[in-house]
Amino acid sequence: MRLPRLFAKKRGHRRTGSREWGVVGDGLFHGTLLIAGLCFGGLLVSGVAAPEWRINHEFRESRATILAKGLARTTIADPPAKVISHWRPCLLVRYSANGVVRESWSQGPAAANTSDREVALQRLSGWKLGAETVCWYDPAAPETVVLQRGYNWWLWLLSLLLPGALVLIGGTGLVRGLRSWGKSEEHRAASAGFSEMLDPLAQPTLTAPGFPAVPVCDDLVNSPGTLLRYRLPIESPENWTLVGFGLFALLWNAVVVVLAVGAGLDLLGGRIDWWLFALLVPFLGVGIGGIVLFTRSLVFATAIGPTQLEISDHPLLPGGRYDVLLAQGGTGTFRTLTLTLELEEQATFRQGTDTRTEQVIVWSQSVAEFHGVCAATDSRFEARTVVELPVDAMHSFTSAHNAVRWRLVVRGIPERWPAFGRTFPVVVFPAGVAVPDPAVRPGVVQQGTQTHQVSP
Amino acid sequence: MNSPADRGPLRPKVEVQFDRPHRQHEPGDQLAVRYRVEGCDGERIRAIEHSVLWYTEGKGEEDLGVHFFQRVTDRSLMPPTVTAGAFSTPLPQSPLSYEGVIVKVRWCVRVRLFFEGSRDFVSEHVFAVGRIPPAHPLVSSTVSST
Repeated sequence: MRLPRLFAKKRGHRRTGSREWGVVGDGLFHGTLLIAGLCFGGLLVSGVAAPEWRINHEFRESRATILAKGLARTTIADPPAKVISHWRPCLLVRYSANGVVRESWSQGPAAANTSDREVALQRLSGWKLGAETVCWYDPAAPETVVLQRGYNWWLWLLSLLLPGALVLIGGTGLVRGLRSWGKSEEHRAASAGFSEMLDPLAQPTLTAPGFPAVPVCDDLVNSPGTLLRYRLPIESPENWTLVGFGLFALLWNAVVVVLAVGAGLDLLGGRIDWWLFALLVPFLGVGIGGIVLFTRSLVFATAIGPTQLEISDHPLLPGGRYDVLLAQGGTGTFRTLTLTLELEEQATFRQGTDTRTEQVIVWSQSVAEFHGVCAATDSRFEARTVVELPVDAMHSFTSAHNAVRWRLVVRGIPERWPAFGRTFPVVVFPAGVAVPDPAVRPGVVQQGTQTHQVSP
Repeated sequence: MNSPADRGPLRPKVEVQFDRPHRQHEPGDQLAVRYRVEGCDGERIRAIEHSVLWYTEGKGEEDLGVHFFQRVTDRSLMPPTVTAGAFSTPLPQSPLSYEGVIVKVRWCVRVRLFFEGSRDFVSEHVFAVGRIPPAHPLVSSTVSST
């Protein structure tokens, strides 16, 4: 019998891992998780949960007299030369079990264990010698007696939650592996619904109903325009960069403040910690740099003013002509303002442990160009133009790792600020099809591996 | 002369015939395929799978979308009793075949033979849906990693 190869040839130029070995590794990983979960759960149930349950359900009630009290000590070796002691209050009680009078040391709950002897003594002082109290004994071993019952809920939660999560992850992974075992790539893709439900990392893409692999455009048509039918939403990674800069500046300077307070208290106390001061100086420099960077980005993002695009129809079709309204707010003069229609390809791939995304613009057409544009606070700059798509244009395409995306891009060079670009995604449907009105579209299809037709 | 065991695993041949010339189809067309299996040399086949699917090729991880899938397990419909088969399906409106720079979308018909034991053999036959011209790079690409 030949073992499967470790590497298999992928389409294109890259070598990928063997699917067979991948399935074996996946099975081993999930099997280990499942076994660990079952063992861990079994230990917790048999060691903690089951004894507690027995005390509450199977132990019989009786009356007991407290004869003596003391602390039970458990020592645990802590190498190299240390021993940790745990203390638990214990009471010698006389009680009647099955008609026989017995004397036995009661066993307190495991949670009564403490490493602090004083605390244990304090707990013990609550019991009075000679006092009569309720006790519960084990009918199978009458010498086992307890004076307290109840549940330790956090132990139950721990015994269910942690092993439960391991069993769930391991079990679903194994079921997924077994379901796909021996099936062809096509068979797996055609019956992927349940497997994807079991895969917590699967990211289904949303596609337009009746148009496999064409993205939905519902988010692009839910905002009406002022002059044209739709106002296109802006895709602005700059805003996230701004939030990132802000968070960095905030957190870093919080650390600087903590260090500075420590250094200040030292100074007030007449001590100078030179190491702390040496650390504080570069930290302060980075903190100030973070604030400057954030402020600069904030000013840049707000000073130029908002850009808006409105379009007469959506989704677009190859060969179609669409009215577009470009509006630029803010104050100041722009040396140029251009509107471009672009087609971008995006591929996501793994390189080692990194996940990389590459984008390439494969088609670009200038729609309009304006020079010496003046925008004011009370009157924004507005220009109406027409966007025309090529007759043989590729439609928008999206799948788990690949995409072909159309977008309108506004680029500007302000008089006093650096150049900027703002992107407005649009969706193009295949040519020659009747596109349903987005306003009355019934819904979207959630897709992992696109729609498929399965024959028996 | 070598015995069959010395020659290694058999390489069957699957010849596929499309109903359209140049394997050029339009969205919504009825795709009809006929195929013939040769070279099994008495090796027993336990199942045949027919599928019509699209896949991506290029720089990104491969994505796959199965449009039509059919698994035949009736031995009276497969070699050596019958060496030919056919299936048909209406094509969807999308995705169209696309020859991009880092993203390519290809449609194909696959006939997969499952032999007794664990071996299988797949025969893939690419066809085109739509008439999108190939794309060309305009500007340098940008790469971001996580």
